[in-house]
Amino acid sequence: MTYTIDEWFVVALARTIRDREVVFHGFGSPCAQVAMHVARRTHAPDMLLIEGAMYAINPDPPFIPPTSNDNSLKQGAAYSMRFEEFFDAASRGDVDRMFLSGGQIDGYGNTNVTAVGPLDRPKVKLGGGGGGCNISATIGQLTLWTTRHRSGRTLVSSCDFITDIGHVTPAGDRKALGYSGGGPQWLVTELGIFDYDGSGIARLREMWPDVTEDDVRSSTGFEFEVASDLGTVEPLSPAELAAVRAIDPLGVRRSEFDPGELQRTFEVALH
Amino acid sequence: MFLDPDKRVDLSTAAGMVADGDVVALGGGLSARLPMALIREMIRQGRRNLHVVGSAHSLDVDMLVAAGAITVCEESYVGFEQDFGLAPAYRRAAESGTIQVKESCCVTILTQLRAAEMGVPFLPVRGIKGTDMRRLHPEYAEMTCPFTGEVLVVVPPLRPDVALLHAPLGDTRGNLYMEQPYVLDEHFASAARSVVATVDKIVATEELVERGITIPAHLVRGVAEVPFGAHPASSYPHYAYDRSATGAYIRAAGTQESLESYLDEWVRSTDEAGYRDRQGSAELERLTTWSESVDAWKGLFA
Repeated sequence: MTYTIDEWFVVALARTIRDREVVFHGFGSPCAQVAMHVARRTHAPDMLLIEGAMYAINPDPPFIPPTSNDNSLKQGAAYSMRFEEFFDAASRGDVDRMFLSGGQIDGYGNTNVTAVGPLDRPKVKLGGGGGGCNISATIGQLTLWTTRHRSGRTLVSSCDFITDIGHVTPAGDRKALGYSGGGPQWLVTELGIFDYDGSGIARLREMWPDVTEDDVRSSTGFEFEVASDLGTVEPLSPAELAAVRAIDPLGVRRSEFDPGELQRTFEVALH
Repeated sequence: MFLDPDKRVDLSTAAGMVADGDVVALGGGLSARLPMALIREMIRQGRRNLHVVGSAHSLDVDMLVAAGAITVCEESYVGFEQDFGLAPAYRRAAESGTIQVKESCCVTILTQLRAAEMGVPFLPVRGIKGTDMRRLHPEYAEMTCPFTGEVLVVVPPLRPDVALLHAPLGDTRGNLYMEQPYVLDEHFASAARSVVATVDKIVATEELVERGITIPAHLVRGVAEVPFGAHPASSYPHYAYDRSATGAYIRAAGTQESLESYLDEWVRSTDEAGYRDRQGSAELERLTTWSESVDAWKGLFA
């Protein structure tokens, strides 16, 4: 059976979730949103899924709409948190994982969703960070992702503006800043998957099978480590693929990708 | 507190409760319960120099920016998510420096509203240190906790002059019923000097009590009944988000010139009854069919 990069990508995001974790995604994040539902329907049935801008607990939406505060996203949820209930839980350290992306991401996993270029006259005014600039400090671990690695403009040597906290900032590392959250654990891109070494620098762990290390290097603005056992992303299982297609019949996950990327197809073994 | 037994006003009077230069809290968020009829009416009245505050917003802020009504924008996000992307008028104004961007964070805004609600002069937040947010907010400070010795960023109270809220249902006294997510609306209502609301429908107080009152009447200065008053944002349980009408705005927003034509056609040259006529009653009614079946609901987003 044939599948496309967007399907494999959200499964790779889903696999960063462990069962029994409390997990949150922000608005405007369809890949992370689909990934959380895929995880709950496959390997993490007892996770606590907090649905983005609805703050609904473990909903079973009939589909993922292209906006993150539609009522369809709280269908089947016995309870929805109030806005402050979620942000308080995140601030006191009761949320284990959050998905974060950025228009710029540096080697330490700091992200910029505010502005590219000078702040008074930005080249690109990005949308803004929602609640990230506080809760990226206190949430247990972060899964970062971008679908725009190949552009060469996303993974940068330093962010023009730091909206959300990675491992090390010009003002110090997490320990010096007094932050309880563990920071970025994974960075998943359409080219490969990074984790972070002891000094807080991204380390390439896996690549998609149609990508070379040179492809990754030429698209990345920061120096990164390469794992000694650099490998290929684990293939999709039929169950994972079925979960992606069931939760996202409208294909909103695809809106994050350049149309050219969506031509990347792979085969899943049916056995 | 607002104690009049009857708070009903027409939309023009409601929008007139916002003055040029006010700090205005915008209720709802993203594609849900935006106070769009009030936004359109303020544009008709030529409101200027507003300082808007809130969490994650979209068309409400972008349209006010397009009309030249905003001087300072203190929202945590302005945009149309992955579906329609960056906010066109907001982006142009921010990049050309015609508005002051004081972008904030949902948690910081919440904390500042809580300080105003509690009547205290500051509260601490857990984050911000290490980010560049203070470049946008010289008013924040740092303080050493007298109990633990931790250094925390502290923020001042945020007391909006007026909060503009939309609710599906309200009564003549100004009690409001909303569905979750309430976003910041409850905090806006307590922290702001006044609340001006639109509701799709005014109903008997008994019906509201049965459903549960979200915002109590004593916080509300005026309430205007405006059917489809959040359109093209959703106002559940009545109607879903109108993705196609939002797309029409985005297509018109490519340049300021085409955006002016859009505002002339859909806002300035008509009133809300005219706006609904031009949207088309069949099209508006279609948005109320979300509850009939999953396919009907899903079809609204196709």
